[in-house]
Amino acid sequence: MDLTPIWLTLKLAGITTVLLLAIGLPVAWWLSRGRSLFKIIIEAIITMPLVLPPSVLGFYLLLAFSPQHGPGKWLLRTFDIQFVFSFPGLVLASVIYSMPFMMGPIKSALQQLPPSLSQASHSLGKSRWQTFIHVLVPNIKPSLLTAIVLTFAHTLGEFGVVLMIGGNIPNVTRVASIAVYDAVEQMDYGTANTYSMILFAITFILVISVFIFNRYQLKSPLE
Amino acid sequence: MARFIGNMLFIKNKPMKSKQPGISLKKSTTIWLPAVLLFTVPVFAQNLKVAAAANLQSVIKVLGQDFKHKTGIQIEPIVGSSGNLTAQIRNAAPYDLFLSADMSFPQTLFKEGLTAKKPVVYARGSLIICSNQDIGFENWERVLMTGRISKIAIANPAIAPYGKAAEETLKARGVLSDVKSKIVYGESISQVNTYIITGVAEVGFTTQALVKDPANKTTLYWHIIDPKTYAPIEQGMVLLKHAAGNAAAARFYQYMLSPSAKAILKAYGYDVQ
Repeated sequence: MDLTPIWLTLKLAGITTVLLLAIGLPVAWWLSRGRSLFKIIIEAIITMPLVLPPSVLGFYLLLAFSPQHGPGKWLLRTFDIQFVFSFPGLVLASVIYSMPFMMGPIKSALQQLPPSLSQASHSLGKSRWQTFIHVLVPNIKPSLLTAIVLTFAHTLGEFGVVLMIGGNIPNVTRVASIAVYDAVEQMDYGTANTYSMILFAITFILVISVFIFNRYQLKSPLE
Repeated sequence: MARFIGNMLFIKNKPMKSKQPGISLKKSTTIWLPAVLLFTVPVFAQNLKVAAAANLQSVIKVLGQDFKHKTGIQIEPIVGSSGNLTAQIRNAAPYDLFLSADMSFPQTLFKEGLTAKKPVVYARGSLIICSNQDIGFENWERVLMTGRISKIAIANPAIAPYGKAAEETLKARGVLSDVKSKIVYGESISQVNTYIITGVAEVGFTTQALVKDPANKTTLYWHIIDPKTYAPIEQGMVLLKHAAGNAAAARFYQYMLSPSAKAILKAYGYDVQ
């Protein structure tokens, strides 16, 4: 039994989650303060992959990454990076694709914190950044955990984009969801079932742990 | 849905109705009725459902038009990789005919008793190497090994016969192990075509039907692969159980083996002797 697609999926989801945590926290913080038109537009763009068909994203990434023109050509010439058919390409696609799952819960949790919290911190001489790290973030722990788990789980479930820009290369871009599709096409239902069961189990454990954790926190997990 | 749209149109016309009830009623019905028909017609129409391998993507439309012109029967092609279509048929997809890219998938279905007849060969495919830039195909084996080519697209050999043929050719030419790391796998031959046309892969192995397709607007450079270097791509067709007693399905089956269908297939680069 070849388990590399499962490891590859976990690796992709892990790297994506760490990157998104680093990007999502400050962005969510920035978006949670004020409602300028510019911020609304940015938030809309970040949220769009939630509803946009993955094939749309896959199609545009395919065009953008083509080494013959546009950004793909520039990347290849300048940095010798080729995103299409590569693991970094999948990471980039996943970051775009799973961003709303990281940003959404964090942003709404930050907005629900009473303003007095940061005001008190500021009046005690803490900078904005110190306030964010030491006061605000510890107060949104449940939502932060939800965001992390949902981002991870959503990346596990990525299929359409990978199918379009991955190239199905063993050990590089053949993630578990693709391996399932492949096995079904080959009429190898045994293999398809094994991968599916593993994904099913991981996803179930992830989602149920968020629900249980949030039950203790008396909050809806999707907040 | 149709009713909903119809109702909306009715409401829109209401103010007129109070003025000239007779005319406006007629007017709104003329809008309402086609709207309803538009949504209800597919329920009554008995279109022939033809599952077609991805390499037939464009030629199946031409065949369908010609068949409709001759018989008045409309076919509805469902295009996908042969493996995927076979999986769907095994799980009771309501298709009448299956045009595969090989003989083994139809053979499997036949053995499982899902077909009405034994599979027959309707065409032989020809493999080409293709690119959207002129890479010098005279000795393509050597070009593939140079740094100029970073990605080679082939269809997944496990499920797509053209992918299998491509792998056989690379092996026969003795370059498979050298270029293996450059190979990217398309889910079907259509995806390989996308990779070639968009240039995300500099070169790919595909069907001649791609370059013979008038719908393709991209200038492509290509070279026929020596048929001796790969096992013949015998494309098989079967009449499925679902078509039992369906005279239209039997007619399309006959049509596919007729000289007019063969002429069309030949124009798209298939071998139909």
